[in-house]
Amino acid sequence: MDEIKTTVRRSAWDRFKAFLYLVGEFFAEFCRDIRDGDVWVRLSLLVFGAGYFARKQYVKGLLVTAFQAFVFIFYPTVLWPYLSKFGTLGTVKRAAVFNPVTMKNEVNDYDHSFMILLFGLIAILVIVAMLVFWVKNLRAVRRLQVLAESGKKVNTFADDIREMLNKKFYITLLALPSLGVTLFTIVPLLVMLCVAFTNYDQTHMVPTSLFTWVGFANFKTLFTHSQTITFGYSFGKVITWTLIWAVFATSTNFIFGILLAMFINNKKTLWKGLWRTLFVVAIAVPQFVSLLLVRNFFANTGIVNTICANIGLTGFLKQIGLVSQGSAYIPFLTDPVWAKVMIILINMWVGIPYLMLIATGILMNIPQDILESARIDGANALQSFRKITMPYILFVTGPYLVSSFTANINNFNVIYLLTNDVFVTKDQMLANSNAQEVDLLITWLYRLTQNYYNYKMASVLGILIFIISAAFTVFAFRKLIQGDREERFQ
Amino acid sequence: MKVFKLISRHVVLAILSVFWLIPIIWLVATSFGADTGPNIRTFFPQEWSLVQYQTLLFGVDDVSQFPNWFKNTFIIATFTCIISSMFVLMVAYAMSCMRFKARKGLITFASTLSLFPGFLSMIAVYFIMKSIGLTNSNIGLILVYSGSSGLGYLIAKGFFDTVPKSMREAAYIEGATEFKVFYKIVMPLSKPIIVYTVIAAFLMPWMDFIFANIMLNSGLSENKTVAIGLYAMVDKVRINSYFGQFCAGGVLVSIPISALFIIMQKFYVEGVTGGSVKG
Repeated sequence: MDEIKTTVRRSAWDRFKAFLYLVGEFFAEFCRDIRDGDVWVRLSLLVFGAGYFARKQYVKGLLVTAFQAFVFIFYPTVLWPYLSKFGTLGTVKRAAVFNPVTMKNEVNDYDHSFMILLFGLIAILVIVAMLVFWVKNLRAVRRLQVLAESGKKVNTFADDIREMLNKKFYITLLALPSLGVTLFTIVPLLVMLCVAFTNYDQTHMVPTSLFTWVGFANFKTLFTHSQTITFGYSFGKVITWTLIWAVFATSTNFIFGILLAMFINNKKTLWKGLWRTLFVVAIAVPQFVSLLLVRNFFANTGIVNTICANIGLTGFLKQIGLVSQGSAYIPFLTDPVWAKVMIILINMWVGIPYLMLIATGILMNIPQDILESARIDGANALQSFRKITMPYILFVTGPYLVSSFTANINNFNVIYLLTNDVFVTKDQMLANSNAQEVDLLITWLYRLTQNYYNYKMASVLGILIFIISAAFTVFAFRKLIQGDREERFQ
Repeated sequence: MKVFKLISRHVVLAILSVFWLIPIIWLVATSFGADTGPNIRTFFPQEWSLVQYQTLLFGVDDVSQFPNWFKNTFIIATFTCIISSMFVLMVAYAMSCMRFKARKGLITFASTLSLFPGFLSMIAVYFIMKSIGLTNSNIGLILVYSGSSGLGYLIAKGFFDTVPKSMREAAYIEGATEFKVFYKIVMPLSKPIIVYTVIAAFLMPWMDFIFANIMLNSGLSENKTVAIGLYAMVDKVRINSYFGQFCAGGVLVSIPISALFIIMQKFYVEGVTGGSVKG
């Protein structure tokens, strides 16, 4: 056991050292390029395209220089005003100022903290990107020089384009998707990570007000439990329920989904396709329809309660104490304990057919000859399930299990659609920090932003969700799933 | 005894499937009822009628604009489908079939990114969209749905991984460019996963609730997508006048969506497990 641990630690350390080495190498090569390059290569440090012109790559030279000019004009005029205020996130509050020329009250030239944060970050990213581009460009120019001096053929622009469809096709393929991911995931995520270190909340709303950096104060708030701040209390409750939920939601669906698949796949079952379709129909209906429907189905004054009252179930539950005496209905989705149980049950309703589908595909793929030879060797059904089917399913679905656990930590739909507007917490301490008993971290985060504009705490929660998911994923992949299966079938 | 076992096996399945279908039956039944609010007295409506569908489709008011929602969602879904299928297949091919220095790093980076709750970045995306005036618009939602879609490349990559390397190598030897290999060899072999990717991308805007809810905050019913529009109908204050229409709308979107969903699942199973194309 210890041996495994040390190897893991050493490999992580080694990887870090390898990374440092790469970074060092990157700069060392940059220096070598400057030392060995001719005057055109060195000139490329100032005018990016110079080296290309010297080797008669005029179009490329022009494009690179034009790009450089664009950034150099664009940067000071558009991005610098934001970056210069990045340290304070703005100081001029919005106000109406009397303008003696027009004789009217006008809005002053105020600072917009969020825009400063956003464009300041973009400005920093542009600087980093330009630095990398600068170094890479020098490398390319230097290579061109070596190529030209050794008398080899220097690519024409047409050759370069052709290269983009052949050896460098991956650049063509990845360019647009990476741009999309940068704009719609990476930059926004960085902004929200920064928000966790500011005081952006309801009392500091842009554009009428400013917000600023507060360091780790929000993280401290999250773990504080006092008379006025109950975030620590709520966080403990919410994270406990989130983990319980994730374990139950993942395991119940997994176990029962596989059992159902095996039950249907059994040789003795007739009309297999029909049964599968019946179950799939239930989940093919979009969740916002089926879950909103189920929530009305189980409402306090809903049809299920009417039926339960008619057949005397409500009265029976009152007698055994599962429903409080004063209540005329079963509080399916309004009592904390009932709601939690119902949510897990309804999630089984939503999730089991999915697992059944996946497991069916896998079951059909189990090498039949292994099962056959096991049968000939005298293994009974239970043994071959335990020794062959189960390990095979676990092996194939391992990564799926891990990702469905993290997906369940973030399972917004089930909780939100079932309980929003329906469940109201009676726990004052939870209500104080805008949480509820049935909240997962993600629904709490959602309510904090959409209803209470508490962006700072929402961002802190987001970071914690990431840490939990990442820790679990790394742990699971290290311990549960071994080996790189990527090229196994190629 | 054998017969008894056989019957009981099917009885169990029948009971289970009834259990799974009860809410769906209730949905369809209520949609054909005359009550505007939820019927809490009986399971089936006391009076059958087509009035819910009639008002939903022709009696447009401030709250209920189903034809508009359907049109919006359809436009968004079509464009999202085109852009994100292309992104997904492009990224999957690059990551699966090509070898370059940054590949491993990019894969790790992408899986790290996907561990952040997608909703977190959406808050900032909302502000970005707002600053360029694209909230409450179809274009904005198309961008939101397709922008980061490249990250969802893993399933398609898993499929491309199983296309035999030898087939591609034979093409390289005959002088084919990587681009030719991509669209003349790998794409034609990948029909199941292409169909899966296209349908999954098309379904996304129909199924999504959370992103659309952030982007569409004007409260104007005509801008909404089906999910957001129908959600507003079961709001506490509106449920008693619109629940019947909600059910009718639910049935109307569910028919095409579930048909596509079932086709998609078929191709998914084929793509992930089938040996049919590995010739």
